[in-house]
Amino acid sequence: MPYTQQERLLRALSKQNVDRPPVICTGGMMNAAIVDVMRRSGFTLPAAHTDSGLMAGLAAAVREATGFENFGVPFCMTTEAELLGSDVDLGTLECEPKIAREKFPTVSAVEFRDPRRLIRDGRAAVIVSAARRLAAAHPGVPVIGSLTGPVSTAASVVDPLTFYKELRRAPDAAHKFLAHVTALLKEFCTALLADGGATAIAVGDPSATGEILGPAMFEQFAARYLNELAAHVHALGAPFILHICGDLKRVKHLAAAIHCDALSTDAMINLPALKREFPHLTTMGNVSTFALEWGPVPKLATIARNLVRDGVDIISPACGLSTATCLANIRAVTDAVKEGAA
Amino acid sequence: MSNANNNEEAQLHAALADDVVAMDETNSVGHANEIVARQFDAYAAIDQGLVEGMNRVGKLFEQEEYFIPELLLSSDAMYAALDVLKPHIRRADGDHKPKVVFGVVEGDTHDIGKNLVKIMADSSGYEVIDLGRDVPPQKFVDEAVAVGASCIAISTLMTTTMDAMAEVVTILQKLNLREKFKVIVGGGPISPAFAEKIGADGYAPSAPTAVKLLNKLLAPPASA
Repeated sequence: MPYTQQERLLRALSKQNVDRPPVICTGGMMNAAIVDVMRRSGFTLPAAHTDSGLMAGLAAAVREATGFENFGVPFCMTTEAELLGSDVDLGTLECEPKIAREKFPTVSAVEFRDPRRLIRDGRAAVIVSAARRLAAAHPGVPVIGSLTGPVSTAASVVDPLTFYKELRRAPDAAHKFLAHVTALLKEFCTALLADGGATAIAVGDPSATGEILGPAMFEQFAARYLNELAAHVHALGAPFILHICGDLKRVKHLAAAIHCDALSTDAMINLPALKREFPHLTTMGNVSTFALEWGPVPKLATIARNLVRDGVDIISPACGLSTATCLANIRAVTDAVKEGAA
Repeated sequence: MSNANNNEEAQLHAALADDVVAMDETNSVGHANEIVARQFDAYAAIDQGLVEGMNRVGKLFEQEEYFIPELLLSSDAMYAALDVLKPHIRRADGDHKPKVVFGVVEGDTHDIGKNLVKIMADSSGYEVIDLGRDVPPQKFVDEAVAVGASCIAISTLMTTTMDAMAEVVTILQKLNLREKFKVIVGGGPISPAFAEKIGADGYAPSAPTAVKLLNKLLAPPASA
């Protein structure tokens, strides 16, 4: 009997044999809520950011239209910072939400509040409820809860320029703050997995690249808290997918050592080569979102087939998709991956 | 001026450069105050001390010895000393620096890359007009026209907002202003191919190379 989409993804994430790689799009920073899908389905942003029924409807419409083999919620990476007090502009149909104003000027100014209380309200509750609806209505389809990583969340709560400087100038206060952010993210994971019935957690931490932080700070401030989060997710019995942006270069070994069940990377990374260097890795990615936006269809099919041929374990976009991406280009990827099994 | 004085002045320049590289704001301000107290030329101190220091920082950044936190702290040390020295510049030809309008495109509030380019351009003698982040395409054009800029520099970190960069070029074309301004683009998801595709004049992958690109596209400024 063929695998369900959930079985295939879970098998891929636990290094078991599969008939072909799953092709997924995690949601969060890498969501596929393109204008095309929203217009067709009537489930639109920004309304779907704050209504669990609409959010679940949009996630289902995205899966249906694109052929990705999962549901991914939410459709932004601002929820976590909003929970911690930052002002968020929810954007428009075409334009994703963004931080309008960071809450605190410095890490030492941060007010610490009980994370368990914070995640009960606002958009966290909306996302958990959307996950629950999707999981209940579609058994056999994986629901991925997508979170913003500790450093990226922190740099959206404290003025980012100050935050980066304080990693060096005030490391103790920065650690205390990151521990607080991580505690909130852990609670969010618990809610998504235990209450929302999510299958897996995906974390993207685009403000924590090796290019931004350098190896020493990547290890101290990014890897450390990502590992804490991974351990928490693993303790809850779920897989942890990690997306690291940028050219890994000098943090390659550090990124490869983070305890994730799949490592997703930008398009510039040669995933087969990465896997040869670090054979323990389950690789995920990395269809260029530039190609996804501009096509043409045959090129995308070739990119997807090559990734499958080269043994990439999970096929997925390499970065955030432009909302102007056309559906045919995405379908070229998902169809090409699926045809491999035929 | 005596040789001894020349020597001391050169030592202070070297110290200022070292302070910038060492990210030491306290010392850079101290040395800048010493320049002023000794009535040494403030302009020379900026050029041979602070700019030299930022050049070294730029090289360390390119060599991946320094990263964003270091670059930001070095620029703090540079700016703090610059604030001390600027009022004492004995020059009148500071008005001819090429103006560059900087901003992060609408939809994106990640401005670290833009700020780095701004810092490097500023320390390399360009007059920088910073529109901030989340800037609508039309505003780039309006501001560039208003200030008589030579170049519009657009940044984004997000693939989702890349289209807004093309929009700036389109607006310039519609208004028959395309030839008046150089347009350069940069940021995580941007590539030379994308720059070419949208009709920009250039792309740079990092802050130091962005300044090199400006130097290539514009008549190089005299100095800071």
